[in-house]
Parts: sequence; structure tokens; C-alpha cells
Amino acid sequence: MPLFATATATTAAAAPAAPRAALALRRLCAAALAVLAALALAAPAQAAPDPNAAPNDFVAQVADQALDVLKKDPQLRSGDIARVNQVVDQYVLPYVDFERTTRLAAGRYWRQATPQQQQALSQAFRGTLVRTYSGALANVDQGTSIRMLPFRGEVGDDVVVRSQIVPQANAQPVGVDYRMARTEQGWKIYDLNVEGIWLIQNYRNQFSQQINQNGIDGLIQALNQRNQ
Amino acid sequence: MKARRSLARAVPALTLAAAVAGCAAPQGQQPDPRDPWEGFNRGVYKFNDTVDRAVLRPVAELYTFAAPEPARNCVHNMFSNLGDLWSAANSFLQGRGHDFVNTLGRFLFNTTMGVGGCFDVASANGARRIPNDFGVTLGVWGLGQGPYLVLPFLGSSSVRDGVGLGVDFVGDPASMSQVDNVRLRNSLWGLEVVDTRASLLEASKTVDRTALDPYSFVRDAYLQRRAAQVRGSKGQDELPDYSIEDDDDAPPAQPQSKP
Repeated sequence: MPLFATATATTAAAAPAAPRAALALRRLCAAALAVLAALALAAPAQAAPDPNAAPNDFVAQVADQALDVLKKDPQLRSGDIARVNQVVDQYVLPYVDFERTTRLAAGRYWRQATPQQQQALSQAFRGTLVRTYSGALANVDQGTSIRMLPFRGEVGDDVVVRSQIVPQANAQPVGVDYRMARTEQGWKIYDLNVEGIWLIQNYRNQFSQQINQNGIDGLIQALNQRNQ
Repeated sequence: MKARRSLARAVPALTLAAAVAGCAAPQGQQPDPRDPWEGFNRGVYKFNDTVDRAVLRPVAELYTFAAPEPARNCVHNMFSNLGDLWSAANSFLQGRGHDFVNTLGRFLFNTTMGVGGCFDVASANGARRIPNDFGVTLGVWGLGQGPYLVLPFLGSSSVRDGVGLGVDFVGDPASMSQVDNVRLRNSLWGLEVVDTRASLLEASKTVDRTALDPYSFVRDAYLQRRAAQVRGSKGQDELPDYSIEDDDDAPPAQPQSKP
């Protein structure tokens, strides 16, 4: 899921770009890895994160385990996509509601899709996100760390947990927020913010654009194509 | 990062890019209210992307390959450190006293203990960088973002941020506009552009890998990011409301529009 984060940033075109955009982007990029570190993987070595814990504790547990796995697994760090997929399935999926992420990104079009299309779309979008991770994962090093910021407000059914991730030793910390909903299985992360940019919001226009031009199947196809 | 100067020289190119590609508005879509000049912007985006792939990206890759990492970090930190001074000034203008003091402190600490900004010792000690500029200041003062605008060479901006860029050019020491020696100034600009592009290599690869439409991906990220900067830390509790478009009364096949 973190992956999205990366995305945020920049563009090839913006390249030499405006300073603020540039900086933001750079951090975003760094963030991606951070994120992924955070969300991505849970280490088998430790106790599994408790989805019914307080929101901050839950994210911290997931993040710590993730970092632990990342730092120990050279295959992940070299961006081995099969391995990344495996780890995501095993350690990330339980804590992330991909379907919700996809549903919100699709907005009003979600209801126009058949259940088969909905499932295919979630799968395809998930592929996009995982691909983003794999690039970011390679950058995690022993200096990567995460610090949870104090939880603000009241714990309702839809909460945001904030953190700062230091992507690599000596790198600028990156602000990463996790939005999650309380479900019957406990907390599930469904949206991610890196330096002010929400993942879902950043995909909404692209989704609606594709659907308008080529329909829902066209969107699924476009996502899958990029996943090749 | 401040290729700003090239702005002046870029005007002809801008016109050209607009003429060549500008009129191709996206098919069959209602224009996004935040981006009324999308056809034009896409033209400039394409132009920037072409220049980037032909020149900037290869040069940045070469730089990353050839220059040792500590040297690159030092260069990057020194430009950032100069930029902190202008960030601090803007935080002051925005009445964000806390950010102002922190950023000024970063500058002083890095300039002294960090050997002229070569080492970002402030970040290492937990003092996070708070980038700021005059476009944000205008926003905090109440000026709306205005239409989204892609500038030649400079990339994502808006009418408001474009005005801000002009002020940044004069006020930001990192823009080197105060350097009188032309050769030195041009060299610094060159280095700054390469440094900036190099720092964006990973990010641009990610956009290439994951965006369905890089143009709107970048635009939406830029607008979200700028809005968050204007809101500042107080606006952190503002969350996007995804439910609006969740209702089924919405007409089918209409592009959604967000504020």
C-alpha cells in the first residue's frame, strides 16, 4: 500500500522543476519506501500485530515487524517481485482493506461494476500497489526507522494514525499517515498519506478518466498491463 | 531546483509547445474545474517530459553514477540549507512562529555545525525540514490556488504559485539571483538543476511504473500537496471525504470533480 505514496511525487516532466514540488517529490519518493516498510511486512519472528489494539499501537506493531523483515531479507531488498508478492500476501493483506481502497478510488463507478469486475479491479489495483513497493523496498537499510506521532482526537470507527519515517540513515524524515476503519476483524488500513498526499484521492481522477474512455474493463486492463 | 531563471528564456518554447500540442483537449471529458487549461497544460507537460528524457534525466543519471554519494549529499544539503532561510522567512510571513523558529534554528545549526550546510545535522537531530515558499504564503493570506498551470522546464504550478515563484526568485538565496558573477551563477544553476533532478530519479521512476495517466497523477499530487502546505499543521485533521461519490444518485459516466 505504501507504494502509492511514492507515486505522489514527481514527474518526469516536472523534473528540474519548481523547488517546492521538487522537494516534496523527493521526500515522497523516499517516503514510499518508508511506507512500505511501515505497512508492508510483518515479521514472523515477533508476535503478530493485534488489530484490536489502540490505533497507534496497532500501526507501530505492523511497522516494526515490517522493518524487521525488510532488514533481514536480502531478496526483498533487491526487489524480487515474486518474493514481495508472497510477503504482501502473508503479512500485509491481513491488515489492509484493499477492496475498500479500490472501491473508494472507483467512487460512483464501483456500483456500476459487476462483482466479477469489482474483484478483478481490486486485484489489478493491488498489483499496481505491490509493484510500487518492490521498487521502494530496495532502499530500506539498517538506518530505516519509524516514529509514531501522538494520536489526536477521539478513537471512533474511522481514524488516522500519524508517523514519521526516516527512510534511510541520514535522510529527511517523511510524514506518513494511515487512515483505517474499525471492522469486525479489528483495524484495517485503507488509505495512506505521504507528505500531504492521499493515495485514494490521487487515483480517483485517473480511474474516472479511464472508465469514461474505456469502461471498467478498460481500467482493469490498463492496470493489468502496467503490471506485466 | 531553481531552474527558475530559465523561465525567461523559456517563453518562446512555451509558446511553441502550446502551439504544437496545446489544443488537444482530453476527449469526451468535462474539464476538471481546477484545471481549465488542461489542453495547454498537457502540451507543456509533454514538452517538459521530452526535454527531460532527452537531456535532464540522462545527465542526472550520469551525475548519480559518477559523483560519490557523500559529495552529492553535500551539494544537496547546501542548496537545501540556503533554501531554509527563505522557508523561514515565509513561515514568519505566514505567522507560523513555531515553524519560523525551528527552520531558522535548522539553518544556524547546519551552517555552523554542519560545515556550511554540507551535513544536515539538524535532521539527524530530529529537526524536520519544513519547506515553505511564497506561493504558500499567498495561499495562507487567502489567495486561492487559481487554475493549475504547467510551466515549461519548471513543471507543476498554478497561477498563484507562478506568482509566488517570481517572488521566490528574488527572495530565495538558493535561487542565486543575488550572485553577480555570471559564470559562477550559471554554474551554480547548472549544478542545482542536476542535483534536483537526481534527487527525483526514484520518484519519477515510480510515476512511470504506477501512474495510469502521469499527467493527472502529477497534477493531483501537486494540488493535494500544495493544499496541505497551505493548511499547515492545523489542517491535519481535515480528511478527504470519499463518501460523496459513493451515492448511487450520481449520474453514470460523468467525470467526477473535486474542489
